[in-house]
Amino acid sequence: MRTVARAAGYRRFSAGPVSLRLRPRAAGVAAALVALICAGAAFALASGSLPIPLRAVMAALLGGDVPPEVAHVITGVRLPRVVLALIAGAMLGLSGAALQALTRNGLADPGLVGVKEGASLAVLVLILAFPALGAAWRLPVGMAGGLAVALAVVLIARDLSGVRFVLVGIGVSWLLASALLVFITTADINDVETALVWLAGSLHAAEWTLIPALAVWGALGAGALFATARAADVALLGDAAATGLGVRLQRTGLFGLAAPVLMTAAAVSCVGSLGFVGLIAPHMARLVVGGGQAAVLAASGLLGAALVLVADTAGRLLFAPLQIPAGIVMTLAGVPLFLFLLWRRRDQI
Amino acid sequence: MSLAVTGLATTRPRRRLARPVLIASGLMLLLVGLAIAHLGFGARAIAPEVVVRALIAFDADSFDHNVIVELRLLRLLAALVVGAGLGLTGALIQSVTRNPLGEPHVLGLNAGAALAVVTTLTLSSFLGPVLPAPALAAGRPLVAGLGAILLCAAVLGVAALGRTGMTPLKVTLCGVAFSAFAAALTSAQLLLDDQTLATVRLWLAGDLSGLSYGALWAALPPAMAGLALALVLAGRLDALAMGDQMAAGLGIHVARTRLMALVAAGLLCGAAVSLAGPIGFVGLVVPHVVKALGVRDMRVVLPLSALAGAALLVAADLAARSLFAPRELATGIVTALVGVPVFIALAARRRP
Repeated sequence: MRTVARAAGYRRFSAGPVSLRLRPRAAGVAAALVALICAGAAFALASGSLPIPLRAVMAALLGGDVPPEVAHVITGVRLPRVVLALIAGAMLGLSGAALQALTRNGLADPGLVGVKEGASLAVLVLILAFPALGAAWRLPVGMAGGLAVALAVVLIARDLSGVRFVLVGIGVSWLLASALLVFITTADINDVETALVWLAGSLHAAEWTLIPALAVWGALGAGALFATARAADVALLGDAAATGLGVRLQRTGLFGLAAPVLMTAAAVSCVGSLGFVGLIAPHMARLVVGGGQAAVLAASGLLGAALVLVADTAGRLLFAPLQIPAGIVMTLAGVPLFLFLLWRRRDQI
Repeated sequence: MSLAVTGLATTRPRRRLARPVLIASGLMLLLVGLAIAHLGFGARAIAPEVVVRALIAFDADSFDHNVIVELRLLRLLAALVVGAGLGLTGALIQSVTRNPLGEPHVLGLNAGAALAVVTTLTLSSFLGPVLPAPALAAGRPLVAGLGAILLCAAVLGVAALGRTGMTPLKVTLCGVAFSAFAAALTSAQLLLDDQTLATVRLWLAGDLSGLSYGALWAALPPAMAGLALALVLAGRLDALAMGDQMAAGLGIHVARTRLMALVAAGLLCGAAVSLAGPIGFVGLVVPHVVKALGVRDMRVVLPLSALAGAALLVAADLAARSLFAPRELATGIVTALVGVPVFIALAARRRP
């Protein structure tokens, strides 16, 4: 066993009583991704309608001596936007990786099967019917909506891994999209404008208020997924083999479904409709690290964060002063990759 | 024994003919009833007998008669053309691709038409008028139809790759992907250009309000051409349903028949989209309803699909205007709310 793990690139690292089995290659990739994200974040913080030199950005972040307007632009406007993009992107990437492993279906994405629209609809009802309630309520309400839709899809399709799951999910997302349109066309026009800004998948309304709660949910979901990562690896061998090896399939399945769905719904509740991240990030992750589910999860989360950051920054800067919502940029970049994935599977599905 | 045999021989052809005639007359009755209700409904409710009298014995002095003929008849006629066109499109596509989930919305026809129309408007507002405004309005069916056919061809082309051919899953996923791409391009243009947004916002939601007789006349020739082509192809489509090899054995040019049927579908869908914007799921529901009534022969399925599509769209338009009155829903929302559950039911019934 030890030689097999060694041949697969794993090494044991011990420090006193703690011993860890790691892959240096995966850790190196992760470090490179983190460096890339830091560079991207620094660029996003520095550029915009008021260009700020990198030294001033660092000074503002570390509480140094900067003019108050620069400090406000950095910490009050651009930093929450960057942080929200990174957290939401990481959550979307993680949930895509987990759902693709659970359903053994490389085309599964919580965003593709109606979770996005379910969360959007729930939040929209909240905005339109209870305008007095604060933005803090959006998170739990959106998560409840997303979970309800995911359960409905699973109940109708009665099966997670097959064609039906994806087709039924697409149908449910269309149904919810038209229900959204009912609200948009009948509600009061002022409410509709508030709702539309949020629905377009744009991060430009980012504030600090939602970020702590989102980060907590992201950390909980990531914890659950990493804790069941080994079980998810074994579950790929098939239900019978996994049960024989001591995997509690029901618990793995429950975490593997509930965590991605809740994380996607939470991210959508905060940043609006952002598609294709959960679909693409895991495939890129498998391309750069491969191997076990823990490594794929980590790389997928980092890549998701990088993708959303790049999409948001590109949408913000390319046609300045006009802003293209990150959701649109993500779709334009994501569809060709999705079609490529489809083409790779052309003989199987 | 011989009596029984002759009995069978005499009753069978009659029964074969009787059923479609029965269904067609039932649909016609339904359609006429819905049309009268459609004309009578509005801010000023008009009684059915007045509606009928306005149509058969028009009185130029009567206010109600003028309201019906001058204002409301156009919307009804447009709904009939759009519904019939979409019903036929669905029947053609489902038959050609042998895919029960085939439908203009699923195949990206609607998204392609929307993208083409919005792009021409953006180009003309940025580069100055490419075409004079009346020509632009008159050319909208052509532009919409072209965009629809191009995106549909891309969807079917990519979905046909691979040894398994055009499976419903591949067609649906390709349709979703290409539609998302086209929709993103459309909304990016609308975000960058407020003027275009103001012009096409209503049309994009799939709505029948704000029409003109000019648009209706412009949409009729392609719709008629599509209908004629579809009826000519009906017999060959029946043969195609038996499988490509069987059809080829019967002397049918398979690829050419497919292509011509898709051209007919594009013409019909382009005409419908140009009038009402992207209205989805009529083409999904209608052929299934017709087949559930026990009709298989495409020569009968096609006319019945046109009738049923027209009835469904008139009913949807009536519901769109009356459900949240005095506010109006877009017609396309109602057809989606009716049609998508059918899609889900069909998808859930498939074997894993």
